[in-house]
This record gives sequence, C-alpha cells and structure tokens, in this order.
Amino acid sequence: MSRREGSLEDPQTDSSVSLLPHLEAKIRQTHSLAHLLTKYAEQLLQEYVQLQGDPFGLPSFSPPRLPVAGLSAPAPSHAGLPVHERLRLDAAALAALPPLLDAVCRRQAELNPRAPRLLRRLEDAARQARALGAAVEALLAALGAANRGPRAEPPAATASAASATGVFPAKVLGFRVCGLYREWLSRTEGDLGQLLPGGSA
Amino acid sequence: MPAGRRDPAAQSARRPPPLLPLLLLCVLGAPRGGSGAHTAVISPQDPTLLIGSSLLATCSVHGDPPGTTAEGLYWTLNGRRLPPELSRVLNASTLALALANLNGSRQQSGDNLVCHARDGSILAGSCLYVGLPPEKPVNISCWSKNMKDLTCRWTPGAHGETFLHTNYSLKYKLRWYGQDNTCEEYHTVGPHSCHIPKDLALFTPYEIWVEATNRLGSARSDVLTLDILDVVTTDPPPDVHVSRVGGLEDQLSVRWVSPPALKDFLFQAKYQIRYRVEDSVDWKVVDDVSNQTSCRLAGLKPGTVYFVQVRCNPFGIYGSKKAGIWSEWSHPTAASTPRSERPGPGGGACEPRGGEPSSGPVRRELKQFLGWLKKHAYCSNLSFRLYDQWRAWMQKSHKTRNQVGRTLPDSRRGTRDRPTPALAGEREATRIESSGSGDVLWGLSREGEDPVPRNPRPI
Repeated sequence: MSRREGSLEDPQTDSSVSLLPHLEAKIRQTHSLAHLLTKYAEQLLQEYVQLQGDPFGLPSFSPPRLPVAGLSAPAPSHAGLPVHERLRLDAAALAALPPLLDAVCRRQAELNPRAPRLLRRLEDAARQARALGAAVEALLAALGAANRGPRAEPPAATASAASATGVFPAKVLGFRVCGLYREWLSRTEGDLGQLLPGGSA
Repeated sequence: MPAGRRDPAAQSARRPPPLLPLLLLCVLGAPRGGSGAHTAVISPQDPTLLIGSSLLATCSVHGDPPGTTAEGLYWTLNGRRLPPELSRVLNASTLALALANLNGSRQQSGDNLVCHARDGSILAGSCLYVGLPPEKPVNISCWSKNMKDLTCRWTPGAHGETFLHTNYSLKYKLRWYGQDNTCEEYHTVGPHSCHIPKDLALFTPYEIWVEATNRLGSARSDVLTLDILDVVTTDPPPDVHVSRVGGLEDQLSVRWVSPPALKDFLFQAKYQIRYRVEDSVDWKVVDDVSNQTSCRLAGLKPGTVYFVQVRCNPFGIYGSKKAGIWSEWSHPTAASTPRSERPGPGGGACEPRGGEPSSGPVRRELKQFLGWLKKHAYCSNLSFRLYDQWRAWMQKSHKTRNQVGRTLPDSRRGTRDRPTPALAGEREATRIESSGSGDVLWGLSREGEDPVPRNPRPI
C-alpha cells in the first residue's frame, strides 16, 4: 500500500503529506467546482420555493422528511468516516442525483411552464452533479481508493403503479430533491477540502 | 353557472399527471403501518375551480393507534392559517373546510391547501387551480419579411388574465386545400407570437387562427384570411447618406438605396423620412416620398445637427393592391447644416441683415409671394429653385468678401463653378476636412453607430 493510501486510510493523519503537484492541482480544481456548485444549488432551491408558492418559501416550512428512494441525506456519522469512504459516498450520491433532478424538471415543466430559468437550473444541476461525481471518482482512482467492486447503477426512471401522486406531494418531493442536492454538494465540498494541504481531519 | 362552462366540481385531475419514477415515490397521505406517525388525505385532490366559486374540502386522518382524532387539526392556504370558523369536525377523524368566493390562484403551480396536525406538522396537501377559461384570442396580425416567412401576433382576449396556465397554438392552412398546420416557433416577437420560417405559398390565401386552452376550457379566434403578398415588409433602406446642399444653411439632401432583398420588385415602393434635431426627441416626418431614392429637407435650422432615418413600404409588390407594411427605420444618419453667417439671436455683435428667411413659415410666405408674382407680375421664370440659387450665390459672395487674401482648397474651387448647389453640398458633406466655415462636419454613420464628430477643425 502506498504512503498515499496509508494516509487516506487514517483520517487522523496530517493531510499535509506531499502529493504529486498535478494531483494536488486536481483536488483544488474539484474542490473549487464543488464550492461553485454549492452556490448554484442554493440559488436553485431559492428559485424553486419561490415558484411553488407559500408555505414553501417560509422559514417555518418543514414538510415531513420522507425518504427519497435511491438517495438519503448525509448521515450524522458521515463526518466520522475515513475521508476516502466519505468521498465514495459523495460520489455515489452525486451519481444518484441526476435522474432525480431530471424527474423534478419534467414535473416542473408542467407545473411551471413559464419558468424557463427554473427548468434550465434543474437541467444544469443534473449535468453538474454528473460532472462533479465523475471528478470525485477520478480523484479516488488517482488516490488508489476507488471502488473495486462493480459500480452500482443509479436508479433509472421507471413507471410507477402509484405514480398518480398529487401536485402538492410532487412539489414537496422536488423541494426534498433540491435540498438533498444542496446538502450533498456542501458535504462534497467539505470532504474535498480535507484533502487539501492544511485541511483539518 | 354560465352556459358552456364546465362544472368546477368535476375538474379535479382533469388531465392525468405524468408518471413519476418508481423510486421517487413520496406520497403524503399514504399510511405507514406501525410507524406511529399520523398521515392524512385531503379530498378533493388538485381541483380546478372557477373564480368566485366555493369549495368543500376534507382532511381525513389515518393513524396508529386507530381512532386518531381530528381535534386540533387546522388548515392553511398559501401559508396563511385559515379562520377556525371555516372548519368543522365532521367525525372523529375528518376535518372539513368550506371556502367561498374563491379568488384567482396566486401562482400557476396552484394554491397550496395544507392540513396540519396540532403541533403544526404537515399531514397532507392539495393544490387548488382557481381561474377563468380562456377568452377568444383577438387582433391577429401577420407580416412576411421579404416573402420568405410569416410572423403572427395576437392578443389573449378582452380580460387577459385567466390565473391558470393557458396554452396558445397558432394554426394555419391553405384556404381551399391542405391540412391544418401548427406553428412551432413561439414568443419570437413577444409572449403571444409565432414564426413560420418556410414552405409558404404565394398567390394563394391562407387561413390563420389561434386556439387557447387551459384547465377550464378552450377558445378559438376568428379566422384571418390573407395572401402573403399583401402583408410583405422588408429591410430598412441601406446606405442612407445625408449631406449639405451647397452652402444652403437650411437644407440637407438625403439619398438612399432600395432594400436589396426586394429591389427588383419595388416599382411602386413608398418611402418615409423622419428627422430630428440632435438634442430633441420630436421627430418630423416627411410622408410623401414615393418611389424615389432621394429627398431634400428644407426649412431647417442653420448650424444644427440633424439625425435622419428612412423606411420603406413595398407597396404594390407583384401587383398587390393592399397597403403594405412599413419596414423598420434605418440606422440614424447625421449631418449638420452650415452655420449661419449672421449672428444668431442673443449672441455676439448683431448686424441685422435684410432678411434671408431660413425658417419654415417665412419660406411658406415667400412661396406664396412668388406665386402671386408669377400670376400678377408675369414673372414666369420665378421659382424656389431660382431663389435657392440666389441664396447660395449670396452666401458665397459674403464669404469671399470676408476672406480676402485667403486661398480656398482646390476642391472647393470646383464647387464655386458648379451650377447645382446640391451636388456641391453633397461633395462637401462627405469630406471630413474643414469647410472653411468653422463648422464641424459629421461623418456619415455606419451601421450600428450613432454619428459622432470626427475632426472638429475651426478655421
């Protein structure tokens, strides 16, 4: 096992271990991308709640945090995991998000057909999640910490026997997906930051 | 309920919602066995209603343990808590709500009616669509750019706002044969417009109409029948040049070229010119410029910068008898009239001279005088042209007296001998060099530019 892998296995190791310059540059680049996309995710969520109408935009709005199949929020124990494990979970979440965002986009195209900016943001979010997920996986491969097993395919969009859900639940679902998108981007940004020299464990 | 309108109570889920991915299932109201959580179902789900109508809704609670009470539940609409007097408990597990005289929906995605538990948590939701059916679209107008395409615009209807998403579809067909076609490029010149880019026939009429549809119904406009050749417009005239008319201080000459796309067909084209003083917003329009590509503006102020624009109406194309449609105005072109040799009012030492009228009203009076002279004094050779030539001669004579000992540039020597002041003025105006009068000569504007002074060179 390389010294690099050894440092990743031990979350307590000082991340100031010298990395190859190009790898460090790649980490910085990916971290910057995650930072930028986190800002975009904030804007997406704000635009989304505005178009759904109150109570979605109210500070007190707290719908039930029902699970979204195929993706859950970062667990409280996430922060205690080794950094490579955290990044694997980040990459998996980023791979699961695009079909969810696409589904929200299709529904919003019916509910808010005159909101081209929202629809464009949702399309961009799906593309950007794919791009960031691929970048994180590439980093993990470069660090020798990529998944060695078969990659789990993200859930495909399929018909549902219970698909006749109402408009309000669809609005809540979109709110949930946009919220998860923001959470996972923020988590990815934080985890990548720990790979940078000077990043705290 | 007005005749022809749908029963609002039957509008819920008029169109089946699209399929959502299986793994995205997240239904508020689906009971979760054994979880200990309460859930509920609101009925009706997503109703569509007319403005002013009433709604009776229920929130039925399911829960574990059974027998969960409806006491303590409450409603909100778009985040605002509804007065308790609008609700009543129907039975142990059902809370009813009665809303009357509903207003139009606040957002097109529907008003959010939510049933809350006593602690404020959300149990269920339903979206209300309150609005009006579409009115008949009106005022359809269409035009064709150079006979190559067709763009149409319309107005939604007398009252406009339906509070519901309303879809507009422009349809067209050849009058006597062919199938209905649907326009596909919307919002090209505003929210209610559509562009048909190709495959249009000439010399045969089209029928055009607009269909409007929303959750509460549909409406169709009257049919507009037109021939493409009767609604042709074109590009603005290119190469508009504005120049001085010799030394005439109150005139400018305007020349342009026929729009190239239709230049072989514009036998009867009409043109319009508009002009304004540089620091004014008031345009003056010269309306009777028919089938010419030049015009002389008179009655202008001396020493003043004017902006000039020209537009074209391809009237009579291919024998069309209709009025035609004006093009856009050309890009502004600027030029300045020569500065008057006499000091203006309120400025400097003033030497009154025999009135050389340069203003419009004075010229009109002069014209009337000349007409009277021709009639009563048998001066048949009198004309405004003769008068202008006299003025040009007077101005040059004055300059010569004031410039004793100076040699004029070679190119201006030629202009003195020219019999036609207009041509001399044009030549001068196209040159950026000084005119010898202390005036700033403006370069002719190029496309996309506002005219700016290039080389102000006082003598």
